[in-house]
Amino acid sequence: MPAESPGLSELHDELRAVARDLLGKADAEAAADWRSIAGAGWPGLEVPGAFDGADATFAEVAVILQEMGRAAARGPYAAVAVLGVGVLNLLESGPDRDRLLRDTAAGDAVPVAVLEGEAMGETSFRIARTARGPLLHGTADFVLDAPAADRLLVPALDPDGTPVIVGVDPRAAGLSVERRPVLDATRGFGRVAVTDVSVPPESVWRFRGDPQEAVRRLRDRAAVAMACDSLGLSKAMLEATVAYAGVREQFGRKIGSFQAVKHACADMLVQVSVARELVAAAVRGQAGDEPGAAVAASMAKSYACAAAVEVAGKAMQLHGGMGYTWESGVHVYLKRAALNRSLFGSPALHRRRLAERYSPLARERLDAYGGSERSLS
Amino acid sequence: MTRADLDEFRERVRDWCRAHVPKDWRREQTGVSDEEFVSFQQEWFQELRRAGFAVPHWPAEWGGGMPVAEQVVLYQELAAHDAPRLVLAFVAIHHAASTLLAAGTDAQRRRHLPAILDGEIWVQGFSEPGAGSDLAALSTSARREGDAYVVNGQKLWASGAAHADWCLLLARTDPSAPKRRGISYFLMDMRTPGIDVRAVRQATGESHFCEIFLDDVVIPAEHLVGPENEGWRVAQRTLGAERGMTMLELAERLGNGGFRWLVELCARPGPGGARPLDDPLVADRLAALETELTGLRALCARLVADEDPGPADASIVKLYYSELLQRMTDFGAEVAGLAAHTALRKPLSSGWESGAWVLDFIGSWEWTIPGGTSEIQRSIIGERGLGLPREPRGS
Ligand SMILES: Cc1cc2nc3c(=O)[nH]c(=O)nc-3n(C[C@H](O)[C@H](O)[C@H](O)COP(=O)(O)OP(=O)(O)OC[C@H]3O[C@@H](n4cnc5c(N)ncnc54)[C@H](O)[C@@H]3O)c2cc1C
Repeated sequence: MPAESPGLSELHDELRAVARDLLGKADAEAAADWRSIAGAGWPGLEVPGAFDGADATFAEVAVILQEMGRAAARGPYAAVAVLGVGVLNLLESGPDRDRLLRDTAAGDAVPVAVLEGEAMGETSFRIARTARGPLLHGTADFVLDAPAADRLLVPALDPDGTPVIVGVDPRAAGLSVERRPVLDATRGFGRVAVTDVSVPPESVWRFRGDPQEAVRRLRDRAAVAMACDSLGLSKAMLEATVAYAGVREQFGRKIGSFQAVKHACADMLVQVSVARELVAAAVRGQAGDEPGAAVAASMAKSYACAAAVEVAGKAMQLHGGMGYTWESGVHVYLKRAALNRSLFGSPALHRRRLAERYSPLARERLDAYGGSERSLS
Repeated sequence: MTRADLDEFRERVRDWCRAHVPKDWRREQTGVSDEEFVSFQQEWFQELRRAGFAVPHWPAEWGGGMPVAEQVVLYQELAAHDAPRLVLAFVAIHHAASTLLAAGTDAQRRRHLPAILDGEIWVQGFSEPGAGSDLAALSTSARREGDAYVVNGQKLWASGAAHADWCLLLARTDPSAPKRRGISYFLMDMRTPGIDVRAVRQATGESHFCEIFLDDVVIPAEHLVGPENEGWRVAQRTLGAERGMTMLELAERLGNGGFRWLVELCARPGPGGARPLDDPLVADRLAALETELTGLRALCARLVADEDPGPADASIVKLYYSELLQRMTDFGAEVAGLAAHTALRKPLSSGWESGAWVLDFIGSWEWTIPGGTSEIQRSIIGERGLGLPREPRGS
């Protein structure tokens, strides 16, 4: 199956080169400046041309995500480009939503979708009809990059039980975003708690198609984004280890000449190669909105994110004592890989979702969207 | 010793543990300062010493003399009662003591063994930037000048050097001899001028291991252990000497607290609300881990009881423990999910498992890398244990 057309492949190479250059320049201790990221056009890749976006697809976003993993980059790119823009693109057009898309492409807005990072069940946010008008309440934990957001896109059930998105200012009264520091210092999380935040009608946005389906697709996007990140960081760890094994000498030889080291590096390459294919298929699924997209997403997420932990762990092992130092930076990748593995569905959860298709009774129902809702809760 | 004697001893240790293991020490030792950690360790060491439990493996004349079977019981019970570990005194009571007992002079033993009981702290200064797995390639030099040696060089990864009073030092005394033949073994007073210790931050964020820079450090000749240029042999003899009982202690801890926390974790509702334990795959993993732990504990018990262990037995135990620790903490991290990533610190004075699963997982490389990496252990097992042909080793 051809991965991509020649023209696209060149475009991706170019995008990759620019990304590597831009992210390489960023201070390891700080996020690349959002202005320069916006200047490169990355937040607007999937934004329609009508709103000054690039009219590109998830395939292009995936190139950036991999480079972000490779650089263990900080900053809210994934939260904005994958989830924020992802949500907005699923919504009906309207003045506020359209303006937000435009601002996001321009780098003037940082919208983040309030998705639980872990529990993949139904949203806990509800809009209640009250004497004071409609009020929003609910909580979500481990929301990726919530502290960096200037607009929160909250998936909620409206009073009729229909899933909608509520656009909320993070400074709104009744809303709190509590930072959730994690070992991986390159990532930011927040616990979003909303009690009785008033919801003006223009801030309630409806999905274009089937809302349940939209929310599922969003979760798949998130899972594939993590797979891309893990693939990128695996590649970085493999390259760093091969480079180290080619210069570090013990017993008068390059350590890469010892079979124990060489074979471990070979295993890393095998894992990276398999992950690359599964991720490519999952990205195509997202970009083309293909029927098998959910299956491909679960395969990529479970495999690439588990493999990345093993690859980064081997990198630490093969760097010896040096790999265990803070300074070497290997720990940054190991922590990020472990975090990616647990974010947006553990490998076990995604495999469970895959396995549910094996039951003949459930097959028909599952084929409809390649995964069941129940398995996500 | 009869079975009844052992049972009685076990009861005595249990009573003692119930009365003396500090309550709540895990919480109190989380996020403490270096000074608090050191004083907690010193107090606990003296507590154990008063009971005769600090150095049971030493000969009776120096304050030990506990039969091996009782030592096994002691470490089983300390683990079962989740007692703090002797982290700070580790090198002193094991490596330093066994070196002195095996190769030291009478004067050296009299000078240091009682001092160790009083809290003298030791560090091992073997590895160097260019000499890790290939330790014999070390290049720190010791030049004889009158009745002293003048030492220059750099040591790396010396665990606990910041608190150490004394250092077990390997240095090259004959640069012209083949690698292993020109090395001598020294006891180095860490207060000697010319020693510069710099902490190195490690993957977990803590800074327990250090670089030691040695600039014209004068070591009196009486601090040489064994004959000049025989240091490699001294080190070889004592390096593995304590592996049995220290591994047994660690295996007991992993099998007790470590496994218990893992089961507790799996029995609590997880992020999605369900108990991981109700997932047959999780239950299966737990049972497999328990089986492996049982095997490890039995291996350790055999190793300490064996009068004449095989040439690779210690390597088998070290390799198996370290990789089981890694698998187990990895599994804990996976089951615990994102919440485990918010544990930014783990209690000091614990074993290698603390229930902060992601940190424990990262920390498990502290076992697969030092003291002969897993790759080196496999070569030892293949070559010394099975008699397979040697790997090419270069020079
Ligand atoms: C947490 C920690 C604490 C430590 N504490 C101390 C201490 O207190 N005192 C002290 O002296 N040292 C200490 N060390 C040093 C430790 O013993 C060395 O790191 C270890 O021996 C490995 O050496 P290295 O780091 O130079 O790695 P290298 O020897 O450079 O190894 C790099 C990689 O190459 C592999 N390799 C090397 N040679 C071979 C071979 N022949 N065959 C197959 N594979 C090979 C290794 O397995 C490893 O994966 C500590 C290290 C750590 C990480």
